Amino acid sequence: MADPVQFMSHFTTVEYRVPDPSPLNVYFAEQLAKGRIVGHKCPQCGKVYMPPRGYCPLCVVETTAKDEVEVADRGTVTTFSVITPLQYQGQEETDDYVQATILLDGSDTTIMVAHLDGVAIADVHSGLRVKAVWAPESERSGATGSLARQMGLGSAVTSWEATGEPDTPRDHLAEHIV
Amino acid sequence: MRDIAIVAFAQAPADQPAGQTETLMLLPTITRALADVGLTRRDVGFTCSGSADYLTGGTFTFVQMLEAAGAWPPIPESHVEMDGAWALHEAWVRLQHGDVDVALVFSSGRASLGVSLRETLTFQLDPYYLAPLGADYVSLAALQGEAVMARTGRTERDLAEIVAARTGLDVDKLLAEPYVVAPLRTHDIGPPVDGAAAVVLVAGDRARELCERPAWIAGIDHRADPHYPGVRDLSRSRSTTLAGEKAGVGNGGVEVAELHAVCTPEEIVLADALGLGGDVDVNPSGGGIAANPMMVTGLVRIGEALKQIAGGRSRVLGHASSGPCLQQNLVCVLEGRN
Repeated sequence: MADPVQFMSHFTTVEYRVPDPSPLNVYFAEQLAKGRIVGHKCPQCGKVYMPPRGYCPLCVVETTAKDEVEVADRGTVTTFSVITPLQYQGQEETDDYVQATILLDGSDTTIMVAHLDGVAIADVHSGLRVKAVWAPESERSGATGSLARQMGLGSAVTSWEATGEPDTPRDHLAEHIV
Repeated sequence: MRDIAIVAFAQAPADQPAGQTETLMLLPTITRALADVGLTRRDVGFTCSGSADYLTGGTFTFVQMLEAAGAWPPIPESHVEMDGAWALHEAWVRLQHGDVDVALVFSSGRASLGVSLRETLTFQLDPYYLAPLGADYVSLAALQGEAVMARTGRTERDLAEIVAARTGLDVDKLLAEPYVVAPLRTHDIGPPVDGAAAVVLVAGDRARELCERPAWIAGIDHRADPHYPGVRDLSRSRSTTLAGEKAGVGNGGVEVAELHAVCTPEEIVLADALGLGGDVDVNPSGGGIAANPMMVTGLVRIGEALKQIAGGRSRVLGHASSGPCLQQNLVCVLEGRN
């Protein structure tokens, strides 16, 4: 007689498709490939959402191409974190580095997890003025990407560098920290 | 008990652009439902939504969907990880408290992001006995179909006739198709689609002001059978019978029943369980067998029942179901009074 079953392995998977990029994702990426950063300005409250979402979550109204505005490729560090990398398989970072949140001029939403290039950690501070370092046009993957996550700013902007301009006053950053 | 009515229902169009977000499917749908009765989001005292993270593989996805309801300044809201019909039940309970008069209910689902809904739904089963077998909802519905045919003497032809009667398709042609899982063929199984819908509930005199012919909730109740399908008679649905009794289906009968059946045998089980006679118009909308927007199908049944009231019927029911083999059932009886 067979031994009674005491253990049973149950390996399970569930598969999902990565959602198709939304029409707005695609448009945003196409514009990035041309060196333009676009957003939608809410017709009611005037806040600018970059990337465009197709609606203002505060006024709950839809926004469309007629609400499009161009946002500058320079802005201000609102807040930042200094990351001390733990070593694990696949970890490529060895030294401390900074991840910054940046408010672009003309936008009300921030870019998160931005990489600062050529700025010493000790010099990073809230109010620091920065500008985009664009990838060469031929390497801007957004317009040819097939996934939403290949269509963000990172598809065309490699990092951010200090401009040397005077700091942005703190008052300007109110309501725009994250 | 307060008198509470359903005054508006809106459903997202089926032809959404590729990559459309659930938030953008919901936003205009909610606006439309409220605008139908001259309301805005500011008038809503309580919001309740239904959806399920397992469908898209996301976490806390209902939070993004809330942006379609408008959650700033902060609003009182709740969410059920269930079909929107259960969100409607919660909103009805909330309106019974008496301090708010208007509730918004919405739900959405994008089953198209799961590679297989049959695979995804195995996660609703117990993790010890059934989930490891991969007992998907179509296979379970097929077992239910065998049980129904064994008890009632009905045949596969009877199943096909449910579809033929509504679509005009030829029964013999339907029966010539191969099985998906015997005794079920493609026509027996409601095709999963993406969807979103919104409903507005209003209490008492406010409903009378807003709407010429509100659909009053005469009774609403939901009940559950044991989770494990092996311990029940799958050819019957005791929880549906009980929910129907508590919702008062028997007190005057109904002219129309919108039943949340996504496979043909379920429709037979449900109609039996609710004691629906031959004079009752069952699923004039086509029901869940015509299209199955997961997490929305039940709420749409209640919305379709509302349309019947608006069209002049006086007593109808909307039913919603959840879980393997009709495990949980909700019955909502609506009455039209000018």
